Order: sequence, then C-alpha cells, then structure tokens
Amino acid sequence: MSNYLFIQSQDPFTETRTSHQYQLAQDLLLAGNTVTVLLVQNGVMPARQKAISKEFDALLNSTVVVIADKFSLQQRDIFNNELKNNIYVGTLEHAIDALLAGHKVIWN
Amino acid sequence: MKSTNEQTLTFAFMDPPFESERTVTFFRLLEAALDKGANIRVFAYEGAVSLSLSLQKAHGNSIHGRNAKEEDHPLSKDWISSLQHKAASNNLKFEWINCGLCVDERGVTDVIKGCTRGGPPDLWRYASESLNTLTIGTR
Repeated sequence: MSNYLFIQSQDPFTETRTSHQYQLAQDLLLAGNTVTVLLVQNGVMPARQKAISKEFDALLNSTVVVIADKFSLQQRDIFNNELKNNIYVGTLEHAIDALLAGHKVIWN
Repeated sequence: MKSTNEQTLTFAFMDPPFESERTVTFFRLLEAALDKGANIRVFAYEGAVSLSLSLQKAHGNSIHGRNAKEEDHPLSKDWISSLQHKAASNNLKFEWINCGLCVDERGVTDVIKGCTRGGPPDLWRYASESLNTLTIGTR
C-alpha cells in the first residue's frame, strides 16, 4: 500500500484528460492505497456548488480526500461556503508534508 | 532551523517565466518547503532556465498610466533571490541548476548568483540524494 497525493491543477472543463486523472485517483484508492487530491489553480473550478461535473462529483463521493488550495480559491473569488461537500480547504503545505513523508506526489 | 539531508526535496520544473500560473504555484511550493525546514534543490530545464536570467527588467504599463515602480512587475529572478536569502537566514540549503543544453539553445547564459549550469545527470544526482522529488511538467 502506498500514499499518493495528486496536485490537481487541471480542470474538467478545459482538459479532457482530467476525468481520467480523477478515475486514476479512485482506482488507486480501490486498490488499497491512501489517496489525496489537492486542487490548485483552475483545479478548484469544479469545487463550486453550481459547477457541473459528474466525474468530479464521483471523486467527491469516493473516500479520496479532496483539499482545495485557499490561495487558488481566493484568486477566483470562491468562498468556502460556496464549495461542494467533502472538500477541505488547505494550503500547499499539504503537498510539502506529503513529500517530506515520502509519499508519491504527482503533478496533474 | 536546521535540516538534514533526509529533509532535502528536489523539484524539476520546465515552464518559462511570465507565461503560466504553474510558475507561481512552483515558487509557492518552494517557499512552503522552506517554511517546513526542507533543503531545496531545483533542476530547471527547457524554458525554466530563463527564470534566473539576470537581464530581466521590470516595465511600466502605459495603458494604465503606471510607471515601472507603480506597476511593480514581478520578476522571477527576484523571487529566486528572495528564496535564496530566506533559505540562508534559516540555515537551509537552496541549490539551483539550469540544464546547460537548454541554456545554450536559448542563449540565457547570464544568470543571477547562486544559479549554476549543469545537465541531466545532475537531476539524477539530485533525485537520488533527496528524500523526494516533484516533477512539474507542462501538462
């Protein structure tokens, strides 16, 4: 079993590969790994309650931990109370903590 | 704050300055790593070798009627310098190698102090000697 953290900078509205990235995170979880997705840059866009993305909602409905970068949210004028359920607000510290813990950190 | 070799992180980055939000996130990651007490090693390749170009100059914005000082245009060479100073003040190591092949292609040989020339074997050495490595590709 391994620990994965994906730094998710891409969003499903402009990058078709994003749905596969979400699916990989879920597949790794189903295979018994611990998986965290840290949303950064436009990666936070599907986190808004009114954003429509079946693939992202499926990710949220799994037990993958999803964290949205506070700075990226602020840049896009997205407030915490506008986020979908099961999304934590955090910082890039999560990525550094994972790197220092020896986890597999992957940039998407 | 002291850091051991076991707390050294390598970052490989290939984006040029002034073109992508990835550059901002990359520098934010470096600062966060310093805040966590990690030594940093950067291998800059492709367009990222221009991040440390010493000839970068800030400019004004005539459309908005602002001079260079008022515009306060950020320069990546200054961000690197700032991180170098932050690392030094925290007794941490901050190393930066530009891929020599990529430097020659672009002619960006004038870089700020503390940034040196190397090659792909240095990335291998960096990664082999570090606790962990993050590669930030353009896609």
